[in-house]
Amino acid sequence: MGSALPPEQIAWCGMDAVLLYWDDMLLMMGPDGEPVHYLYDEPIILIPECDGVRILSNTSMEFLQRVPDSTVSIFTIGSTSPAALLYDALDHFDRRSAKYYDAVADENLRLIRSSLPEAVEACVDAAGHEFDVSRQQTLLRAASYGQAFCSNFQRDRIQEMCKILRVLNAVRSPEIGIPLSIQQYKLLTPSVLIGRLINAYQHLLALKVSEYLGMNQSPGVYAYFLELLMEASSQCWADMIVRDNGGGWFVENSVRASFNIQSVSATFLFDNDLLYCTPQLILNPTFVPPPFYIIHNWMEDEVHYLGWMGATELTGVQLEVVIMHWACSKITASLVIPDAALLEILLDKLKLCKGISYAAVAAHADKNGRRKLAALLVEHEPRSSKQVPLLLSIGEEDIALMKAIECGDTDLVYLRQPLEFFGTIQARPLARDLFVTYARFYKHEFLKDFFLSTGQLQDVAFLLWKESWELGKNPMASKGSPLHGPRIKIIEKAQSLFAETKEHIFESKAAEEHAKLLRIQHELEVTTKQAIFVDSSINDTIRTCIVLGNHRAAMKVKTEFKVSEKRWYWLKVFALATIKDWVALEKFSKEKKPSIGYRPFVEACIEADEKAEAVKYIPKLADPRERAESYARIGLAKEAADAASQAKDGELLGRLKLTFAQNAAASSIFDTLRDRLSFQDGLANLNDCSNTFLRYPNLESTWKESQSILRWAFAA
Amino acid sequence: MAQIPNLDNAPINLTSIREQSQKELLNILKNVRGKKCLVIDPKLGDSLSLIIQTSILKALFLPLEHGIELRHLSGDPIQTDCSKVVYLVHAQPKLMRFICSNIHNDLSKGLQREYHVYFVPRRTVVCEKVLEEEKLHHMVTIGEYPLYIVPMDEDVLSFELDLSYKECQVDGDTGSLWHIAKAIHKLEFSFGVIPNVRAKGKASVGVADILNRMQAEEPVNSSDIERYNLFSISSPLCRTDSLFGDVILGALCHELVFFLHINNGSVELDASIMGLQQEGKKTKVPLNSSDKLFKEIRDLNFEVVVQILRQKATSMKQDYTEMTTTTQTVSDLKDFVKKLNSLPEITRHINLAQHLSTFTSKPSFLGQLDIEHTIVEAQSYDICFDYIEEQIHKQEPLTTVLRLLILFSITNAGLPKKHFDYFRRELLHSYGFEHIAMLNNLEKAGLFKKQESKSNWLTIKRALQLVVEDTDTANPNDIAYVFSGYAPLSIRLVQHAIRSGWRPVEEILKLLPGPHLEMKRGGFSNSPSFDTLSGVSSSVAKVPDGRRALVLVVFVGGVTFAEISALRFLSTQEGMAYDLIIATTKIVNGQTLIETFMEKLG
Repeated sequence: MGSALPPEQIAWCGMDAVLLYWDDMLLMMGPDGEPVHYLYDEPIILIPECDGVRILSNTSMEFLQRVPDSTVSIFTIGSTSPAALLYDALDHFDRRSAKYYDAVADENLRLIRSSLPEAVEACVDAAGHEFDVSRQQTLLRAASYGQAFCSNFQRDRIQEMCKILRVLNAVRSPEIGIPLSIQQYKLLTPSVLIGRLINAYQHLLALKVSEYLGMNQSPGVYAYFLELLMEASSQCWADMIVRDNGGGWFVENSVRASFNIQSVSATFLFDNDLLYCTPQLILNPTFVPPPFYIIHNWMEDEVHYLGWMGATELTGVQLEVVIMHWACSKITASLVIPDAALLEILLDKLKLCKGISYAAVAAHADKNGRRKLAALLVEHEPRSSKQVPLLLSIGEEDIALMKAIECGDTDLVYLRQPLEFFGTIQARPLARDLFVTYARFYKHEFLKDFFLSTGQLQDVAFLLWKESWELGKNPMASKGSPLHGPRIKIIEKAQSLFAETKEHIFESKAAEEHAKLLRIQHELEVTTKQAIFVDSSINDTIRTCIVLGNHRAAMKVKTEFKVSEKRWYWLKVFALATIKDWVALEKFSKEKKPSIGYRPFVEACIEADEKAEAVKYIPKLADPRERAESYARIGLAKEAADAASQAKDGELLGRLKLTFAQNAAASSIFDTLRDRLSFQDGLANLNDCSNTFLRYPNLESTWKESQSILRWAFAA
Repeated sequence: MAQIPNLDNAPINLTSIREQSQKELLNILKNVRGKKCLVIDPKLGDSLSLIIQTSILKALFLPLEHGIELRHLSGDPIQTDCSKVVYLVHAQPKLMRFICSNIHNDLSKGLQREYHVYFVPRRTVVCEKVLEEEKLHHMVTIGEYPLYIVPMDEDVLSFELDLSYKECQVDGDTGSLWHIAKAIHKLEFSFGVIPNVRAKGKASVGVADILNRMQAEEPVNSSDIERYNLFSISSPLCRTDSLFGDVILGALCHELVFFLHINNGSVELDASIMGLQQEGKKTKVPLNSSDKLFKEIRDLNFEVVVQILRQKATSMKQDYTEMTTTTQTVSDLKDFVKKLNSLPEITRHINLAQHLSTFTSKPSFLGQLDIEHTIVEAQSYDICFDYIEEQIHKQEPLTTVLRLLILFSITNAGLPKKHFDYFRRELLHSYGFEHIAMLNNLEKAGLFKKQESKSNWLTIKRALQLVVEDTDTANPNDIAYVFSGYAPLSIRLVQHAIRSGWRPVEEILKLLPGPHLEMKRGGFSNSPSFDTLSGVSSSVAKVPDGRRALVLVVFVGGVTFAEISALRFLSTQEGMAYDLIIATTKIVNGQTLIETFMEKLG
């Protein structure tokens, strides 16, 4: 007030008040009314919180906060708010011995009947803000007393508050020393609180709290968040004096308890006029503040926003987090315990919790120079994705590879970088196959070396053969020398490699033929001066020759490659048909009697839609059915019918009739013919038909038709 | 025009799976601020079109920011002005090369861009290694898009692993098995642990093993089951291994059941087929459960489909005649107009059916069908041999020939060495030496190989009644209707597994290659709901709210539409206590399956 000096420190206190600090005086400016003075005879530091300010001096820490509305409404002297009356009523009720009090209690309740729910709510709320346990109890009892008289109050509100208060009271206890207000607790979220407890080495309490709140959900973000939290804290804790000397949580807790905390008292300074109070935690001056407490609070400020970030994402804390942290601290602290014994101690606790990351604990052990313990621990990790990288990092490469193969996640196998270890992967088929697949598209040369080293000569041969096409694609390689040397050479090399093993004689021969074909094709290109031969198949080469009219060349290729007569006929006939050289075709048919019959000729003509040509060859077909069908295909009903009747085939007749369904004259021919079929034939064919029609569903209607016709035939 | 499938009637909440994937995708895109170019590998693009419509995707980003450009990943440099490039790719080393060449190209031009690479479904060491070796890993931000499952239809899930069969069988890369197990495990997280597992074949037993391991590593939480309690699952998970024969047989026999080449729920056809005027243009026709008429006819034999379409059209015409000739009340008119709404649908399907019937009525198609049945009956070796030989000599399309050859080889447990070499030689001579690599692949996969032991196909065929003599395609009474008389082996196994488990058919299972497995799984030990759940499984009929228990049928290596139809047929049978959900690495047909084995050379 009117000071010329600017304040040394300034801080928000809650939402609507500001603290100003000069040398030995603290001034609080509220939203209305006079400022409040506090005097300090030692220097202080102001630390703003969400709902007040922490005031830290050399000897004590205080918390300054505006008195919550609910507390005011109940405890203001002479207050007549419903909540105050309810509180009063409970007071009277408790002293029930005299009738008078009962009556007052009764009357109080009657007075506030309509606003009973608000009164209950206010009591619950006030209880939450209370630091004094007995007063919390009284307020909660008042709430539950009022609740009994109102039907529409949410019952679990009281239960919920009890839960919160139990947690708060537990952490506020001097052994733990985290004096959280309820609002801070809510903003902080239980998960962060548990994180802090863990960092304070209060594993047991952390475990109990998380169990009590039923928080064993496992949101994925948490792992990440916790890592950061631990990272931030580990530096501060590095020089922690408290060390667990081997007995687990209980020893730790007793160490904690042995701090000479004599008394903690909270006093409330009421100021009715200003409605502000200071719940003050006065620590006994003889109490040496444990370093962790101070450090903790400082550190906490750093970790804060991590806490906030996490808090928005999280709903709960994993039990495993608590146990994990314990295990890690245990490893750090137990340098003298032998691996096997320590493993047992650790497993004993770790197995309590499913889904714990053994790999993370193992990694910690490895960091602490206990590689053997790490190896033992990682054995227990069920997640291969975590196990394999760790095994690799601790040098257990063979086991890592084995595990990766076992779990079926092929990606993990690649982690192993097997490129340098031909020997090891050769023994493991999956690793080998994966390597080959990878190398196939990426490292051809390397793959060749690999196959050579393992004696898979045929695979080298296949690789070489494939390369020959790449060379073919490359114009530089295929031009140059007339017999495109490099390409043929590479194929010949492949051929000789195939020849090394008995099983690949076929491939060897094929490669030989391929090389020969390329030579011939090249010669053809030179003589015809047309670049249309290379890289076509033997058949295509022959066909091109025929189309070009070079029958001698075609014949030469045929004999070079011992093309069978069957193939030769099909090839030549169709080639002649494509250039519509019907004269040559006829000549060809008369050269000698074709060993495979005249079907190729018929088909080629029909496909070229040359009926006149087709008719020349159809009579030469040996099988009457084939004749019938061929005639049908070119639309000659009568000829078809004649052939079919020679074949004495009812099914065929039926089918043909369908083909000529539009043609009344033709279909009558078929009917007459069918009449002529003998009874036995008909019966036999009936069965035939049924089988066939099963296979040709779209002939089913015909089947029914022919059935009826046959029946009619039998009757006649 | 393509629509994402309607999943409302699915027996489990598939919509939530899809919505999750949508959300994750949008988050990825939102996290990269400002105008960006999204580069997708083309295969992934197909899968994504089942998750979200491109138009919606674009519209979502238009008002928010400066829009989004879509590109397909290829080796060519990306043409865009955006300074931020987001790659969304399958985690395959092959694709990483494209990305690297893209970035190198930008660098050489002095373009400065921000690169984000999101791997589907997760980042892998191999891919990152490629980036490292190209010294680009510091330039790209790496993320993951965990797309493990794509709902294709209300009862079909796809893992979108089209190469899994080849990778497992030829390369020995079992990575896809891990992926499948992971996907199933993810499903379990949503819908609860699957208590009974049956598996047949090496790969599927492998999947079951990995699944068990995952359950041990990351147990499905009991609380999750409570959360998804709407869904009381207690299904024997039956996994038939398509890797040996069965799916091949299915895929190789022509699919007589309606559509032939449906790619991810839509077909691309010449516009002229659909009766549109634009010649030569391709249009995409969506085909999935969203289309009511398609839903009705898709599982029928093609011949029957034609009849139904004819009926519909006739009744429509009749209505129309009535409408014009007799006087009608307003409400009658209203009904009629309502019916008219389905007209475009009917026209569309009639167009499609017409288009298909041009194939199915060809003699070559019928001949093919005939020979396929002859091969499956396995009685007349010589006829089959001659037929295939002739096909090669006529140089019919290579895939058609291979279909038959593989079928022939499988039913005979391989071909005698002399014939095996003969066919291989003829193939190389006719189609070119570059196919040696494919032949090698097929041999490694055991699809086309030389005979080493006597075939037991006849025994299997008889024991499982694979060839059914009298099937009525219009009113089928057995799954054999899908192939007009041949019952797919895989579905027969499912039928047995559902009815009675593996035990009664143990002897037959031993005849088929690969191990089999039957196991019960816990995972409920801590759960209070354990009793109620196991109660459900013991008496399936008592499942509350009328829902049937579920069976997840997983096909490792792919499934055909015909097999799906057969399964749907099973689930509509009276006395069937289960809803069937099909999960597969990819929907295949003979063509696509064989294509995965082909290697491009030259």
